[in-house]
Amino acid sequence: MLLVLSDEQKEHLSILTEVDVAVVAEFGRIAMEFLRRGSNPKIYEGAARKLNVAVESVQHGVEGLMYLLTESSKLMISEVDFQDSVLVLGFSEGLNKLLLQLYLDNHKEIRSILGELAPHLPHYHNLEWRLDVQLASRALRQQIKPVVSFKLHLEQNGEKTAKVVQTDPATLLHLIQQMERALGEMKTNHCRRIVRNIK
Amino acid sequence: MRFRFCGDLDCPDWVLAEISTLAKISSVKMKLLCGQVLKDLLGESIDYEKVTKITSDAKFESGDIKASIAVLSFIFSSAAKHNVDSESLASELQQLGLPKEHTTGLCKSYEDKQNVLQEKLRESSLRLSRLESVSWRVDYTLSSSELRDVNEPTVLLRFQVQGPNTGSKETTVVSLTAEKFRVLLAELKQAQSLMNALS
Repeated sequence: MLLVLSDEQKEHLSILTEVDVAVVAEFGRIAMEFLRRGSNPKIYEGAARKLNVAVESVQHGVEGLMYLLTESSKLMISEVDFQDSVLVLGFSEGLNKLLLQLYLDNHKEIRSILGELAPHLPHYHNLEWRLDVQLASRALRQQIKPVVSFKLHLEQNGEKTAKVVQTDPATLLHLIQQMERALGEMKTNHCRRIVRNIK
Repeated sequence: MRFRFCGDLDCPDWVLAEISTLAKISSVKMKLLCGQVLKDLLGESIDYEKVTKITSDAKFESGDIKASIAVLSFIFSSAAKHNVDSESLASELQQLGLPKEHTTGLCKSYEDKQNVLQEKLRESSLRLSRLESVSWRVDYTLSSSELRDVNEPTVLLRFQVQGPNTGSKETTVVSLTAEKFRVLLAELKQAQSLMNALS
């Protein structure tokens, strides 16, 4: 599967032909650092001053490189396809090899960074519980009413929320039974067939 | 194999694995490590520098240090949770393969702090909301826009409650006439006598 780049992106990447291969390697390192930690405009200014070019060209060059790397990692394109896509840009042999090496070295890390960008639902953080017995109330004395209270701590994108719920022991047993049945579903033939095919 | 300190369940696999890690340090260092872990469980902060010094002889990596702290925390809190006495704990740990000197050191530390630990666990049990303070005031209404001579005493009560999610304080102010207040007081005294009968 080939990567298709728009004309604007090709123009942005054209700056890479005007500089040394060593500088492109440096751009690649900057691009990876930005993918890990977010972009820093001061680095663009420093590089532009050293190379004696406009700040926008440096910025476009690095951003074009970042796009190339993220799209290739996202689609998991093979070496051959990556080389063919880059060939379209008309770079020198050395530059093509460098870009390929950059892709191969970093695609696993880029994939793990991209994996964290998916939206999250609130997920389990902690569960506290207590067992109480109600013995009397204002209306009725001499009761025995067991109650289980839970505080379910959830986490979503770093924010913690807590939900308090109460139940009687019969409902709790039913809940446990249903959840064990849900876990048991993994052992049915249907689920086993699907899991085998995913692996 | 059922263990009392695991609540009459099987011992978790990771605990079995980390007990062999614990056996690598000397029993004297083990006793010092127990002291640090107990400090952490009782709410004082753990001194990681001391822990690194204690485990440096056995050349523990950071993963091993974390694992040994985790397994000691589990053993202490689980034994306190299920109210296991130190002799039973000693025999069960020896069955799991912890050497005799380490076991005696661990159980001595446990025995010293068992009551304090159980108290701390009792305090950190789930509580839904807590009454922080009550303040009151008695007013005497002389007259109002509706009636010229009112001459009625009222009680104002202010409850400060800490809500189920920590950090949220609620204030409730109620004003009661004398009769309502007498009813409230009588009911609360009945509830208090029920509570005293239980404790």
